[in-house]
Amino acid sequence: MEKIINIQDKNYPKLLKEIGKDAPKQLYYKGNWSDIFSAQGGPASGGKNCLAVVGSRHMTTYGKQVVEKIVSEVAAAGITIVSGFMYGVDAEAHKTALQVGGRTIAVMPCGIDLIHPEYQQDLYAEILDNKGLIISEYEGSTQPVLWTYPRRNRIVAGLSKAALIIEAGEKSGSLITAEFAKKYKRKVFVVPGPITSENSKGIMQLIKEGAEAVSSAQDILKYYNTLGFRSSFALDPKGPRDSGIPESSLEIKIINQLQREALGIDMISRNLGLPAAKMGTILSMMQLKGQIKQEGNKYYVN
Amino acid sequence: MLIKVQSAANRGLETIGVDVEVNVANRGLPAFDIVGLPDKEVQESRERVKTAILSSRIEFPQKKITVNLAPADVPKEGSAYDLPIAVGILAALTNCPIPEKSLFFGELSLSGDLRHTKGALLLALFAKEKGYKNVFVPKDSANEAAIVRGVNVYPVENLRQLLAHFAERQCILPLIYQPVKETLSDDLIEFDMKDVLGQEQAKRAMEIAAAGGHNILLVGNPGAGKTMLARALPGILPSLNEAESLEATKIHSVAGVIPPGGALLVARQFRSPHHTASQVGLIGGGSRPRPGEISLAHRGVLFLDEFNEFPRSVLEALRQPLEDGFVTISRSQERVLYPARFMLVASANPCPCGYLNHPKKACVCSVQQIKKYQKRISGPLLDRIDLHVDVPPVDVKELAENQKASEFLEPSKLIKERVMFARKIQQARFAEDLIHTNAEMKNSHIKKYCPLSKEVEQILQQAAMKFQLSARVYLKMIKVARTIADLADSPGIEVQHMAEALQYRSKSYSEG
Repeated sequence: MEKIINIQDKNYPKLLKEIGKDAPKQLYYKGNWSDIFSAQGGPASGGKNCLAVVGSRHMTTYGKQVVEKIVSEVAAAGITIVSGFMYGVDAEAHKTALQVGGRTIAVMPCGIDLIHPEYQQDLYAEILDNKGLIISEYEGSTQPVLWTYPRRNRIVAGLSKAALIIEAGEKSGSLITAEFAKKYKRKVFVVPGPITSENSKGIMQLIKEGAEAVSSAQDILKYYNTLGFRSSFALDPKGPRDSGIPESSLEIKIINQLQREALGIDMISRNLGLPAAKMGTILSMMQLKGQIKQEGNKYYVN
Repeated sequence: MLIKVQSAANRGLETIGVDVEVNVANRGLPAFDIVGLPDKEVQESRERVKTAILSSRIEFPQKKITVNLAPADVPKEGSAYDLPIAVGILAALTNCPIPEKSLFFGELSLSGDLRHTKGALLLALFAKEKGYKNVFVPKDSANEAAIVRGVNVYPVENLRQLLAHFAERQCILPLIYQPVKETLSDDLIEFDMKDVLGQEQAKRAMEIAAAGGHNILLVGNPGAGKTMLARALPGILPSLNEAESLEATKIHSVAGVIPPGGALLVARQFRSPHHTASQVGLIGGGSRPRPGEISLAHRGVLFLDEFNEFPRSVLEALRQPLEDGFVTISRSQERVLYPARFMLVASANPCPCGYLNHPKKACVCSVQQIKKYQKRISGPLLDRIDLHVDVPPVDVKELAENQKASEFLEPSKLIKERVMFARKIQQARFAEDLIHTNAEMKNSHIKKYCPLSKEVEQILQQAAMKFQLSARVYLKMIKVARTIADLADSPGIEVQHMAEALQYRSKSYSEG
């Protein structure tokens, strides 16, 4: 069964319609349209509270942390996370939204019957299972080509009240989404990163051009609150996590170090003057207790 | 006139006696034939023998000469039959007696000189086993043969000298074995662990690997020091004992990689085949089975740099020798067994471009590319590698100036002492078993020698849940913890040993 929504349809997202001649004439979709977009306002306020979350495909551990920290809170507050289903920040944003029981919309750069990238089919199914939507302006199994990706970005930006950019390199596609958001007079939020990182170059550019830097989910929620909307089902994202309490002074020292900066084991043992063998023992135990976690080759405070 | 000269043939590491029968017939047209399944090299021996005899200023008889290599149904290969054939012909010509209970072995050059020939050590071992008194080998190969005590090894320079010896005009003196300071390996400690800056954990992992004979995988960005760490490994391994040394030397002798005048190998071998190596090159084989890199690395280190770049079929072929410590090469004609008990050190980049998780450079690989890259090594193969270590890039300049970092620098000698100590404990532990190191432990050994206290078991189970460890990784962790406990001279595996072992579990090195 083909599911199509026409631009004349009363359920066609209002925000998207506002972008004028850029608005797609019709949208193909999977999932239940009225779960998110319904003329009456509906459970998710007629799609008026969408936030585009986009970023680098080459997400760093920092980027992942940011998504977990900010998007989880935003999505839990009832805001619909819109993104492009690409690996990296996009996929992480979808996942995080689903984890906290939030809603998410994936806009595909290919025909509605394709899953792209293919190996993310688990995520695809999960979005549909959790009252999410898959949207595309292309029918059937149209292959994604170079120009469909930036075309897709205009829908991501057009659907959303604001866009949040997390990690973007100099030539990142996320910058295109940000451009569209600006063009459609939408708010652009960015998460600053270390200026030494390749993934911060695009972000820095946006900040210079006037994007608002955010440091917590509150910055974004405030913007949505002024529009007079507040979701009833807010989840405390910190809730289910168990953070062990550091016991020894050594553990506290390690945590203090890691709070400042994520470090590898060699660096920690050098800083604290302990052999790597001993440090390995301590770090393993702290990991088991849930105080710290390891990603890539560095340790982070949980 | 029929003359019989004794020689030997090497088939793999086995040696069988070969009788070289030479008949110089007075009747018949002049000819020179070799029978008894000679291959190309042995056939060509006719020309070498003929010219070498002429060069030694002896007239080659214009008679019908027939050479038979008995037993006739075993294929004969190699150039080592030149000397026995020449000796047979010369004996028939000059009527001078051939010393009894003697073996002849060696390749002739056209000038009548003898050339270095591979496999002399095995010949001498065979001679001793079968009760031969004398062995005549080329001078360059003599030292290698002289390793075997109780057999007279005569270093022969050329045919004329040998004839003079037979005629007792000028005697060749048996060679006494002279150990060469370093055979094959250039320098005992070419790379010292103290020259590797930073990498404290990786160095510790190397120590554990050396102590327990564990295989190890190093994952890190280009230039992080993986190769240097691997090269420093032989320096912290205990030296070869006499039996091990002989085993390794035998393989090298058969492969013909012992240089002229070479002696017993003393240092552990470090073999680092390039990733374009073929399966036969690595494992051994060929129509006439030759030892491969894994056998040349016997009792030493096999370093596979750019592990992911090796063809998959080549890597999968490593599985059986890794498990058994030997490789059997079967051909329709013969079946050869080469020992291959080596420590595998593999190094790999985390992704195709190499810069995943690099602090400064950005990785340009897609998630798919990274997954594909990491999938090139199969699970069963990774399961045979006990220690997985990250080797992060280091800021060499900063570390060189860092006072604290330099405090951690230990010379290889010191680490080696600890390794030897742990090996001694293992020796005592496995005195009744057929294994030598913790890495070789099978499930039954683990049950017997690694009882876990409730506390340790709890930690391990907790970790298994948290890190999603498979049953096999579970056992690996116990083995590694056992080695860590040995290094700490602890009779039981304590919590801290297990906790440290968990550091070296296999991690998928990308999130996604």
